[in-house]
Amino acid sequence: MTAVSTRDTLGTDEARAAGQGPDQPQPPRADCIADSAGGLTFDITDPGGEGAAHLLLHLRDSEPAVEVRLPLTPAADGRLRAALPSSVELAEGRWNAYAEVDGEEPRRLVPGLNDLRSLVDRVPSGSRGHVFVRIPYVTKQGNLSVRAWTRAPHAEAGELDIAADGLTAHGRVYGTELGSRARVEAVFRTGPERVVRADVTARGPEFTFRLPYADLADGHGPWDLWLLPDGDEGPRVRLARLLDDVADKKPIFTYPVTALTAGTGRVEAGPYYTADNDLSVMVRQASG
Amino acid sequence: MHISFLIHNAYGIGGTIRTTYNLANTLAEQHDVEIVSVFRHRDAPVFTPDPRIRLRHLVDIRKDSPGYEGDSEAYRTPATVFPSAEGRYGQYSALTDERIAAHLGSLDADVVVGTRPGLNVHVARQTRRGVLRVGQEHLTLDSHSRELKLQLRSVYPRLDVLTTTTEADARAYRKRMRLPGVHVQAVPNPVPAPAVEPADGSHKWVVAAGRLAPVKRYDLLIRAFDKVRRERPDWRLRIYGGGKQKDKLRRLIDDLGLYNHVFLMGPAHPIEPEWAKGSIAAVSSSLESFGMTIVEAMRCGLPVVATDCPHGPGEIIDNGVDGRLVEVGNPDAIAGGLLELINDDALRRRMASAALKDSERFDPARIAERYETMFGGMLQRDGSLGGRMRGSMHRARGVLLSGAYAVRDVGRTAPTKGRLA
Repeated sequence: MTAVSTRDTLGTDEARAAGQGPDQPQPPRADCIADSAGGLTFDITDPGGEGAAHLLLHLRDSEPAVEVRLPLTPAADGRLRAALPSSVELAEGRWNAYAEVDGEEPRRLVPGLNDLRSLVDRVPSGSRGHVFVRIPYVTKQGNLSVRAWTRAPHAEAGELDIAADGLTAHGRVYGTELGSRARVEAVFRTGPERVVRADVTARGPEFTFRLPYADLADGHGPWDLWLLPDGDEGPRVRLARLLDDVADKKPIFTYPVTALTAGTGRVEAGPYYTADNDLSVMVRQASG
Repeated sequence: MHISFLIHNAYGIGGTIRTTYNLANTLAEQHDVEIVSVFRHRDAPVFTPDPRIRLRHLVDIRKDSPGYEGDSEAYRTPATVFPSAEGRYGQYSALTDERIAAHLGSLDADVVVGTRPGLNVHVARQTRRGVLRVGQEHLTLDSHSRELKLQLRSVYPRLDVLTTTTEADARAYRKRMRLPGVHVQAVPNPVPAPAVEPADGSHKWVVAAGRLAPVKRYDLLIRAFDKVRRERPDWRLRIYGGGKQKDKLRRLIDDLGLYNHVFLMGPAHPIEPEWAKGSIAAVSSSLESFGMTIVEAMRCGLPVVATDCPHGPGEIIDNGVDGRLVEVGNPDAIAGGLLELINDDALRRRMASAALKDSERFDPARIAERYETMFGGMLQRDGSLGGRMRGSMHRARGVLLSGAYAVRDVGRTAPTKGRLA
């Protein structure tokens, strides 16, 4: 059904009584389409006003404010369109989306349809040494925001196989190559001097490594996983899962927890994705 | 025609509400349509009605509203007209009895449409003479308790029309509820064309969507997918929806080692962009009173593999042409159906395009025409109603039948609340 502003439907008196009168127009609504290169197109309902209009992206909690403005131009269907090409770099984080008309306060965008099918199972080229990821999503408050990652290079985590004694992980690098000295390091987050190393088997850009839980069992807490594609000579790359349409991996990509006996007693270990969609392993005292 | 819908709560979210708006919005292109909501619990409706529709409420239960009536004596007194065996009985009261009676007793309309059993009882008993009394059953006769069936049996004969969502359910009403003189007709739920492009069939994903409830039998679907991934590990399954079964299903996925292949995605509103990410839809239910998700998926260009359960799937899917019906309760049969489509790209694409075409019959324009034809026929036939048509029969004469309604190219029923990423 066509989206029509609610105030038209309530009848003027009732609408005023309900505080929904014409003085409080509907917030502008944005449909968002992703292309496979990582670019986004926003189509928004006309926010009104006389001045030039922009789509404003504001990096949350940035001080001083980090903002990106994209011109909004009329589209064929009476809406306004803004494009965020894949070449525009957005700092890693959450960007709140607004419509801004010159001389007026920016207004928060509410989401319409997010068509993100091009992001599913995305395989970027990585030929420029980096991977840009931006995934539009709906905030808890029901507004439109964009999550962004900029990784140069990038190590994408793929399938994880959980066995009784450890984890075998498969992944792929973008924007770099795997050398003969490639390895993975698990770094104990609350005591980063504790590092567990794992050998990497590479085939082209794809890699596999095995991490025995027994090696991590003494460190209760999260262990963050890093890939060193060329050993000590090259960059350190945080393992992450970014190349699809799921803005928040943690609740959806979940894995079994394995119980094992270690020097300190019974512990549980298992991989998980952090709030930033990075891959870590959690070790904790076994419950019960 | 003046058509007046009577609904439990037009301001909320849910299948009946969405369906009523889809139908009412389309009928409003040709007719005077009002939606009367027994309750109003928020200022603005979640779904936006067509501006030509008049929307009003009978009882205001917004706590912060000057018209709040939730404290009144009558609101706390149990209902006597609304049937006690109806699922929503607890929300009805002497106040709703009185307000609905006053509304129906003075109704200025040609047709009144009740949208749930309890409201159909009000419509049957209290509607002013001369108005065509229509009761809609969105659930099935099977799903009503014995007590409710008894209560309905004594009142439903006073309806002029009873609609069900499937032929199977219409047969059940005709056979098991003596309804002499009542026109019982199946009219499927309308499903608008999605606002997204149809799926292109290139993604190796199976998609399912619905509440994570026992009746959906997602446990069987997950077991079926264990078999699928042994043969085709490159295909994966997404299940959208929330519900009480989540932890149980999560454990099953982990126990079967399917955590790289089966994902519980959580609720998604709107669902259309999520269908478009898949190439096959799956329904494993033991019961589907209609099968709304089947139609939604087909309208997004997905062939559906569905259990041949009562009542809807077999009436929606043309087996082997636009989808596949498989045995109920059998994970091997579900896996077989999925693998048939996974392993044969040409067949899958052929079925996908048939699904797109065949599901057009559920377009609100087509469904509204069926209602209109039925209402018109009943009103003309039944001079004994003693009614008179209000004004002209139609807003625009001569556009009664085929093609009268614009086929929607935008299916936006986007909620403004309750959406989740």
